Amino acid sequence: MAMNFDLRSSEYVTNPVIRYIGYGVIAMMLSVIHVVFLRFLEVSSVTPDLLLIFTVWIALVEGQFTGMIAGFLCGLLFDFVSTDVIGTNALAKTMAGFIAGYFHRPGFIKETIGSARFMMIVAVSGFVHNLIYNFFFLRPMQVSFLMFFAQYGVASTLYSTVAAIFPMLYVARKKD
Amino acid sequence: MRGFIEFVVRFKNYITLITLVVMSLSLMSIGNLSKLGGFRAVIVGSIGWIQSVFAWIPNPVALKAENTALRELNLQLAVEAARSRQATLENTTLRSMLRLPALTDHRLIAADVIGKTTTQQRNYATINKGQADGIREGMSVISDAGLVGIVIGASEHYAILQLLINRDTRVSAKVQRTRVDGILQWEGENTLVLKNVPRTLDVQDGDRILTSNYSPRYPANIVIGTVRQSSDEPNTLFRRIVVAPAVNFSTLEQVFVVDAKVDQERSVLERAVDERLTNRTAP
Repeated sequence: MAMNFDLRSSEYVTNPVIRYIGYGVIAMMLSVIHVVFLRFLEVSSVTPDLLLIFTVWIALVEGQFTGMIAGFLCGLLFDFVSTDVIGTNALAKTMAGFIAGYFHRPGFIKETIGSARFMMIVAVSGFVHNLIYNFFFLRPMQVSFLMFFAQYGVASTLYSTVAAIFPMLYVARKKD
Repeated sequence: MRGFIEFVVRFKNYITLITLVVMSLSLMSIGNLSKLGGFRAVIVGSIGWIQSVFAWIPNPVALKAENTALRELNLQLAVEAARSRQATLENTTLRSMLRLPALTDHRLIAADVIGKTTTQQRNYATINKGQADGIREGMSVISDAGLVGIVIGASEHYAILQLLINRDTRVSAKVQRTRVDGILQWEGENTLVLKNVPRTLDVQDGDRILTSNYSPRYPANIVIGTVRQSSDEPNTLFRRIVVAPAVNFSTLEQVFVVDAKVDQERSVLERAVDERLTNRTAP
């Protein structure tokens, strides 16, 4: 199955079923990569959230509705793979997809993803994502939410934003 | 009907959002993976297999930290060995004098850590031993340094450990020197806190913390860590006791699963009394 990511909508795998299956396969690969390989990129216990970036990507390409569902499914997948409490990532990534969906501009997808705008959207979505995730994560603990979020939530958002530069550059290169 | 369809189409994004949020919250209320039964074993097995395939890839940062830790450990062990030889002689003499029964050692199952999720506060580890090796859910896990955590899931050949530095950790612990009891919890990063210790009790920096005899989950007298900071909590009657874990979780590679079964009779009795008291106090 050849996936073409140059984002020209007419060429971008026109069959939606194949496209969505492709998204599913990529999501599964990213979740396994996250759990198995991202320890090499760990900085003070923080890693970039690949599935968050992928959710934002889908929301910008497909729109808010699909972005939310993609976020929910990606989060659910990651909850299963990472042995986390099921539903935590699903909720956080659903919200991330919802927010990223607001920036969906049909006909200007390349311009959005292939520019710094994409990083900004990842930063905003990631911030809300980590805010929600940390809120539910810290519920059973007697730890200051603000302190914990400032340390891990903001760091994770920044790291994901920096990691978003790679898909951005890829699309920018294709655009040129 | 037409109006309803138009309403749904118009607000489909918000309706979908609410539906997905409700679904997520419902899933959260189910709890952790342990309530999903056999499905968990499939996930543990699959992820464990993938992690074992790539476990040979070294992590230079972790290797450097491990090297430093091993050098320090080597130095400490050399000193400890000399002390231990002296202590063994004294111990033998004292035991024979007091006719104390020998401490019962549990069977230890050695395992390699083949995967760790210590990122973004999800502190779990995967080991390459499972049910086929006698590992069951609820067994404690230790290393040469001290308590590592507990087995929360096992497939045929792999098991997942909930590390001590996990938000769900609650360990009944005691101070070795003064036998003061408390509940140990994780407070982020590499920090554990001993709770429920009144201000009047004697706990000092450097005191060693062990697992308590009261815990039905963890065997007693396993080293957990040392007190890093002990101070009075403002506006309460308790002390704030920060404990540094004895185990270096970032360089954890070999562990031992303690084959100590939970005392069923004790658990059943404690649960029954707890339920009875809860029912009595309920309105």
